[in-house]
Amino acid sequence: MNELQFKALLPYSLLATASIIVILLIAFRRNHFMIQVVGFLLMCGVIFALVQVRPLLPVAIPPLFQIDGFALLFTGLIIGSVAIVGLFSYIYFEAREENPKEYYILLFLSTLGSAILAISNHFVSFFLGLEILSVSLYGLIAYLRNRNHAVEAGMKYLVLAALTSAFLLFGMALVYMDTGTMSFPEIAQKLSAGGGSSVLFVMGMGFIVVAVGFKLALVPFHLWAADVYQGAPVPVTAFIATVSKIGVFAILLRFSLDVNLQNFPLAIDIFAIIAIASMIIGNLLALRQANLKRLLAYSSIAHLGYLLVAFLPGNMAGVEAAVFYLLAYSITLLSAFGIITMLSTRKKDADDVEIYRGLFWKKPLMALVLTIALLSLAGIPLTAGFIAKFYVLGAGIQSQLVLPVIVLVVTSVIGLYYYLRVISVMFAAPVPAEAWEKTVSPLFYNSTYIALVILALALVALGVFPGLVVEDIRTLLTVR
Amino acid sequence: MGITQILFWFLTALVLGSALMVIFSKNPVHSVLWLIVTFFCISGHYILLNAQFLAIVNVIVYAGAIMVLFLFVVMLMNLNAETEPQKNKWLKFAGAIAGSCLLLVLVAALKDTDAMRQEVLMKTGDIGLIHNLGMVLFRDYLLPFEISSVLFLSAMVGTVVIGKKGD
Repeated sequence: MNELQFKALLPYSLLATASIIVILLIAFRRNHFMIQVVGFLLMCGVIFALVQVRPLLPVAIPPLFQIDGFALLFTGLIIGSVAIVGLFSYIYFEAREENPKEYYILLFLSTLGSAILAISNHFVSFFLGLEILSVSLYGLIAYLRNRNHAVEAGMKYLVLAALTSAFLLFGMALVYMDTGTMSFPEIAQKLSAGGGSSVLFVMGMGFIVVAVGFKLALVPFHLWAADVYQGAPVPVTAFIATVSKIGVFAILLRFSLDVNLQNFPLAIDIFAIIAIASMIIGNLLALRQANLKRLLAYSSIAHLGYLLVAFLPGNMAGVEAAVFYLLAYSITLLSAFGIITMLSTRKKDADDVEIYRGLFWKKPLMALVLTIALLSLAGIPLTAGFIAKFYVLGAGIQSQLVLPVIVLVVTSVIGLYYYLRVISVMFAAPVPAEAWEKTVSPLFYNSTYIALVILALALVALGVFPGLVVEDIRTLLTVR
Repeated sequence: MGITQILFWFLTALVLGSALMVIFSKNPVHSVLWLIVTFFCISGHYILLNAQFLAIVNVIVYAGAIMVLFLFVVMLMNLNAETEPQKNKWLKFAGAIAGSCLLLVLVAALKDTDAMRQEVLMKTGDIGLIHNLGMVLFRDYLLPFEISSVLFLSAMVGTVVIGKKGD
């Protein structure tokens, strides 16, 4: 490994060091506040390192990694989301006093797994990254063991994730058997030399799709989503919905770009069917949910379906649309989960929609932030969600994907219903409820509040001036 | 017949004998003890083949960790000769068929391989030496090695978090 490669890996090494630093901090002083502050600063350091690394790109670290503009974008998204999730974690876990220190180790470790996925272009690093991500997630999901659904959710995730890991490994083995290589560019070479139609290769790809579909909670593999979202602590739910999906989507996108997946009609058909099924079933199941966390789970299934429509064309317009969509989607979901975190009390999470009845008359700013987030999820104009959907539709129409585009539009209209239902509950006349519990830490309560308002403003800003980031995304994606 | 060959035949006889004893002994604890002997003999074979690292890992992982696991299971299930459940006739039949299928596959797979026609070279080749393995691991495969160690770290932390006593 030469000096250039070492420098290019710096953000990732720093991320790996972050968890070790947290372990050492815990060994010497078990102080939640200090761990939280150090963790936040470390994440800022990683983002700083990413900015510093940018002029060096692209750097290839054979055989496992390829650090380019694409990787930088996705890593930036992952680290940014994790910094915000970390911020939510303080008030959430401090209120529960259930010894939240080790939580941060697992949080940073799984972030590292997700970031490895964003830079890897080899099956080995793909598998290792995915395993680091999911092994740490088992611990995170079941972190509050004494709560009702936590262990159940963790167990469900463990069994299913282990099963899909086996699928993934077997799929990789079959692809290796057919092509004789595990690195994406070499697989692409073998395919362009006239392979890829053999039974082994198609079966292997099918198995890999099962594993990726599970991680992204796409429709035939979505059964875990609602239970895990409900059972996990709220910041962890936010983490699963954003960081873990961004990482897995990044590697799916990189693989399909490397091997030119759009040249294989069978694969495109399969992904189109999965996308359509996710959009329809996700939105329909969300219609009758009275639990906000479950509602967001089904809505994220639908959103990943929308995202796959941007993935189908396999051209630069599609990739740009996907990146912008992921950006808008993460900001939106993080602000929604942030509100749930702030309203959660010591005894239970604020996941019942009835808790939000009349929220606007009690806490207007919070209600406004949640309203903006839900409108953005629904894709109402002037929010980032609308522009993101617009780009996805544009990419889909360019490539004449008629059916997925029509389904996207129709299901978005259906989806409007349940988002508006929550919003109407928030603006309804308040019920004389018990007083809100006093907050534990005013400093972090206020900083979370400020972060949420900034996120909501970012949603509106991106919705009005999408040009702010689109150009940057475009130039970064050309660094390959 | 050199000392190496004497050692080889001795170890082979011992490994086959102890492996048979694993199956035939009535007491499960005796089975487990015979299994330990088997593992040590196989490690001896590895050393004869100049694969030191494999030999040591075999002793640490199989004869150490996995054996403890086996013993714990035997202890927890409280197995002894009297309480041994009567095995179903069909179960025996199915076991015999499954075992012979495995044998068939192994024989079919190994029948035509090149390794069968070559003589085993004792004490030659240095690929299995710890020094060379370390060189390869920390020079060519440094990143995968470090990432796998992070994977184990996350598994350990997760286990401790879930398993520790409530406070």
